[in-house]
Amino acid sequence: MTMPAALKTREPKEQYKIAPAKFNIWLLMVASCMLFAAFVSAYIVHKPDNEAKSIWTKFELPVFFTYSAIVAAISSITIYLAWKAAKRDEIKINRLFLATSLFLGFVFCLLQYLGWKSMIDAGLPFVNAKPQDISASYVWVITAIHLVHVLGGIILLAVTLARSFAYRVHKKSMTLMSVTHTYWHFVGLLWIYLFLFLYFAR
Amino acid sequence: MSTAAAAHAEHEEHHHHESFIRKYVFSMDHKMISKQFLMTGIIMGILGMGMSLLFRLQLAWPDEQFSILETLLGKWGAGGKLDPNFYMGLVTIHGTIMVFYVLTAGLSGTFSNLLIPLQLGARDMASPFLNMLSYWFFFVSSVVLCISMFVETGPASAGWTVYPPLSALEKAMPGSGLGMTLWLVAIALFIISALLGGINYISTVLNMRTKGMSMNRMPLTIWAFFFTAVLGLLSFPVLLGAALFLIFDRSFGTSFYLSDIYLEGVGALENIGGSPVLYQHLFWFLGHPEVYIILMPALGITSEVISTNARKPIFGYSAMVISLMGISFLSFIVWGHHMFVTGMNPFLGSVFMILTLIIAVPSAVKVFNYLTTLWKGNLRFTPAMLFSIGLVSFFISGGLTGIYLGNAALDIQLHDSYFVVAHFHLVMGSSAIFGMFAGIYHWFPRMFGRMMNNTLGYFHFWFTFVTAYLVFFPMHFMGLAGVPRRYYQFTLMKEFDVWVDVNKLITIAAIAAGIAQLFFLWNFFYSIFRGKKAEQNPWQSNTLEWSAPVKHHHGNWPGELPTVYRGPHEYSRPDREEDFFPQHIPDESTPDPLKSGKTVPAPEQKEPETTDSVFFSAIKRVFGWS
Amino acid sequence: MKRLIQTRLLAVNRAKKILLMCFTMLAPIVALAQEATDVVKPPKEFDPLHWDWVFIASAILVILIVLVLAKAFDIGALTEKLTGKKVVGWNKINAWLAIITIIASAAGFAYEMIYHGKYLLLGNSMSEHGSEIDSMFNWTFGFTFVVFVITEFLLFWFMFKYRYREGEKALYFYHNNKLELIWTIVPAVVLTFLVLRGFNTWSRITDKDSIGKDAREIEVFAYQFGWKARYAGADKEFGAHNFTLISGTNPLGLAVNTEVEALLADLELAIHGDSKDSIKNPGLIRLIRDAEDSSTIWQLQLKAYEAKQNTTAYPEVYKNLKAKAMDAASGTYKSNLEKDLRRKKTTLDRIAQYRKSKEFFNGAAHDDKITTEIVLVKGKQYVFNFRARDVIHSAYLPDFRQQINVVPGMSTKFQFVPVKTTAEAQAEKGDKDYNFYLYCNKICGAAHYNMKIKVTVVESDAKFNAWLVNQPSVWNPPATPAEVPAGSDSSAIKNSVVKN
Repeated sequence: MTMPAALKTREPKEQYKIAPAKFNIWLLMVASCMLFAAFVSAYIVHKPDNEAKSIWTKFELPVFFTYSAIVAAISSITIYLAWKAAKRDEIKINRLFLATSLFLGFVFCLLQYLGWKSMIDAGLPFVNAKPQDISASYVWVITAIHLVHVLGGIILLAVTLARSFAYRVHKKSMTLMSVTHTYWHFVGLLWIYLFLFLYFAR
Repeated sequence: MSTAAAAHAEHEEHHHHESFIRKYVFSMDHKMISKQFLMTGIIMGILGMGMSLLFRLQLAWPDEQFSILETLLGKWGAGGKLDPNFYMGLVTIHGTIMVFYVLTAGLSGTFSNLLIPLQLGARDMASPFLNMLSYWFFFVSSVVLCISMFVETGPASAGWTVYPPLSALEKAMPGSGLGMTLWLVAIALFIISALLGGINYISTVLNMRTKGMSMNRMPLTIWAFFFTAVLGLLSFPVLLGAALFLIFDRSFGTSFYLSDIYLEGVGALENIGGSPVLYQHLFWFLGHPEVYIILMPALGITSEVISTNARKPIFGYSAMVISLMGISFLSFIVWGHHMFVTGMNPFLGSVFMILTLIIAVPSAVKVFNYLTTLWKGNLRFTPAMLFSIGLVSFFISGGLTGIYLGNAALDIQLHDSYFVVAHFHLVMGSSAIFGMFAGIYHWFPRMFGRMMNNTLGYFHFWFTFVTAYLVFFPMHFMGLAGVPRRYYQFTLMKEFDVWVDVNKLITIAAIAAGIAQLFFLWNFFYSIFRGKKAEQNPWQSNTLEWSAPVKHHHGNWPGELPTVYRGPHEYSRPDREEDFFPQHIPDESTPDPLKSGKTVPAPEQKEPETTDSVFFSAIKRVFGWS
Repeated sequence: MKRLIQTRLLAVNRAKKILLMCFTMLAPIVALAQEATDVVKPPKEFDPLHWDWVFIASAILVILIVLVLAKAFDIGALTEKLTGKKVVGWNKINAWLAIITIIASAAGFAYEMIYHGKYLLLGNSMSEHGSEIDSMFNWTFGFTFVVFVITEFLLFWFMFKYRYREGEKALYFYHNNKLELIWTIVPAVVLTFLVLRGFNTWSRITDKDSIGKDAREIEVFAYQFGWKARYAGADKEFGAHNFTLISGTNPLGLAVNTEVEALLADLELAIHGDSKDSIKNPGLIRLIRDAEDSSTIWQLQLKAYEAKQNTTAYPEVYKNLKAKAMDAASGTYKSNLEKDLRRKKTTLDRIAQYRKSKEFFNGAAHDDKITTEIVLVKGKQYVFNFRARDVIHSAYLPDFRQQINVVPGMSTKFQFVPVKTTAEAQAEKGDKDYNFYLYCNKICGAAHYNMKIKVTVVESDAKFNAWLVNQPSVWNPPATPAEVPAGSDSSAIKNSVVKN
């Protein structure tokens, strides 16, 4: 029998404690935490301590953002179930929950979009004429950059789902599943945190 | 099939050729990527240095006309006179190139890539693909930055710190137009590159050490690269955030950084409610760790080179690691010392002053440890060793002036004067460049399988060392006399006339330094192709990279990975005939590599019998130990 | 032997290449030097001490020496290999160069100190707090200089002393807690001292409570590229200001009603155009309405121009026309007009709003004096309030040891007491033309290097008043406290009038 040349010339593989991909995704998450830390601290620094000066519009966050936080929480559960199913080699259940998470991901995007729309309707566009509306600009930036992260997660989910349909997500091939699992929790929790922050630090 | 196939496979291994593109262009081999980083870094370095020579000409002979300027710069040097706008552009791009492209990517990118897998005994980086991406993002970023120099309105010219509103308003200066946009694009790409690289470095260091390579047996280079990567990972995203806000302000019309502005020829702007100082906070939160991102790899390289060539263990290995750690930690909480005179709350200023001056303690420890490592060594003056000693000298000179600048009260006077220019060019410019040279001379045989010419190396060192001091040392005096930096010329200010001669001296020294680099370039490129063939371990070094075959091997070691039995710096052990003891060679005293985690197994430690050093005997007498 | 010849040939080749490289580098320098010498006003006879010549000569000399030496060493190394005898002593050379470095740098330092030492921060401060900064500097200098000398000396001394010796073995000395503890604690103690001193000095200098009741205020206004100072007029009160009010005749944006009226009229004119002469000044609204048409016209003009005329005949005309047509075609032209309109309308709104505020009508701005020089009285405390018009500047007064950034949208200030008059400083420096200046010390654009304002310190109030009286008041105070504009919020104005 013949083996493909690439396989033959490969070096003996060393086993590592943690798969590099898993470790890398953690580090990536640290980096994006720092990005949001920058935004959040800029927000805190920018917000006047003195309420009386009021160069800062206090406004109600669109209700859609609350919904999207709930969706994020639910999809966190579904991705957990998908991960657990994959660990138990229950491939069909895994597919089901992966698909659900993906769907919830799209719902999340839609809700964010509706949230933005209602902000525009409320007279709080990204670029504003009134000095005090800078608070709205911050909400825009934070939600938009977070949505970029979610889109990354959706791509990961889609790839994992495709792999699952190709029977390549199971007990012995968990790396991608774990990465997606971790990352999806991360974006969900990140949104819940950001939402609470924006809610309480208005 | 077994034996035949195995033999066949082995045969394949020797004759397997990757395509040119896979091997030299989109390579995923860390050694090739490190060479790519080095080459790009050197080219950017030539550009950066060339720019500094151009604006030094302007500073030394502001009234003369140089036809060369018109030839090189076209309309920006019309009539042989450098345009003031382009002067600012040159200063900005010189800073950007040197800080990010040469000393971050060129230094840390090159040597982290080369040494992390080789010194830890790994086949490659944790993710070779991300590693390749990291280089190509860097490459594209460099290209974008170079393109930005040729746009109609000139390159970004608000200084390398690009403070808004100057950088945010297209009408504030020509360079804030397309040039600034390209600058931001280039930096965004650079940040992505740095993050991808950093993630890989950390993950490799933590996960992929070979058997026996516990953390406390890692060479100091690796420690330095590791902390550098951590700093980059934590601080570059913040710069990305700052850059995003700036992009929004520039292109969308938001007001994160802008407020109450009236521009000549435009009128009162709409932007209101923003804070320019916010940008400075975000920028320097990266900016200060960036200084250490530049410096620490150089310090790591120096530790390794000094230890090898002094044939002595590095003095105080754990103190060195702890001080690196301390410097890394402190670097995150001292950014405010760049902003003492922004009108910040004076109390905040005091806090930043105290934290800043604390950094001097770990830095001092490092210097003293280097000195003690040299003490009673058997110093081999390879060019790498000379450059390392040069680094220590610059680090002392530049580090001490940091004590002036970190002091808020003195900073009132010295802020943004030539004193600052002298300080950072010595402590992070020259030091880090010397670290880079040390690294290149030391690991050239490892990278290219050939040796560089020592004689030219010596000339290169002494010329560069002397000229660097001649360029930067007199700047202290100018700064102390209150000469501001980033001035296009001083002829309109009669009170600065005393410094005309000094400016000329500096420029002449700078040109001489430029000429000295030609020796290096010649030596470097010639030796790649025609240098003497390198031996397996030309410096009789202990670390693992010298146990890998001279001819590059994809996967670094054919067969098994080496096992590590001891720390990296055990030179001149009294119980050994030879003055070095490679990490991967077993001996009776440490049979099981996994059990003995000690950095240096303690053979009977002999106190120095007679001290002929006045300094040490004095210390000994004072503190009464024998 | 064949190998030897080959290697020699190689070496010669290499030397040739080095020479070539050096000369390619040298060529522009020579060209540049010629250029430089052309400009030296009267073509004097050869002056050996002229920098250019010294430089060119030494550059050539150095390169030649290096080439010769490199060649010599290479040949030496070759002989060494062949005969087995030691010829090239780089080990020794490097070691001795270390000693030379110590001596040469000490000499260089001494030279610099002798020639430029008097310009440094060593007690020539012209302000009260400046002497504290100077003493802080002296302490820091004392400590760091000692450390600098000791460590640098040891570094190069060790380099000399412990150079490689065949057969010798280095001392296996890798750790010593006591030593490490000492050089952690000693710097820590010294730094604690410096920190405490620095902390005290800094707090005293920046302490806002140290501003006395009789401190005099000056407003300093920074713009690209210059400074203006404002003194309160006869009423001892600074008039209100707002950046929306800035105009050509009202550079500081002061609340002066006549100026505001003029500005409003200008803005209206720019928006709506001149009804009498709508061809010359159609106004933004109309320009936007006609943008499509203008675009078509320009395109046609451009086509006609390209068809009829040789495009190189009037390159400027062609270039402008083309730029205009391209801008119009891409929509930049229209969007720029729209942006401009929006900006002007916002300014109008803001001015209208600001005119309703109380501070606008206090009338204090009318007698303020805007000067292009700052005059201070010796021994009095001054508070400088800073404002920036466009970008960040930095007010730097090296003689008075004071500096602060000037940031648009944020007010900053510092205070100090000048202790010497300009005349005294001139006498002290032995320079009759010596003057204090306030420089810009934050990169702010092309003419950053030329942004300064003269600061003069006089010895008495009498002299100061004599100077100030001669400064013109820009606006005469209004007859009534406020010229109430029609259509503005009358109740707010009434309140403010009553208060005043």
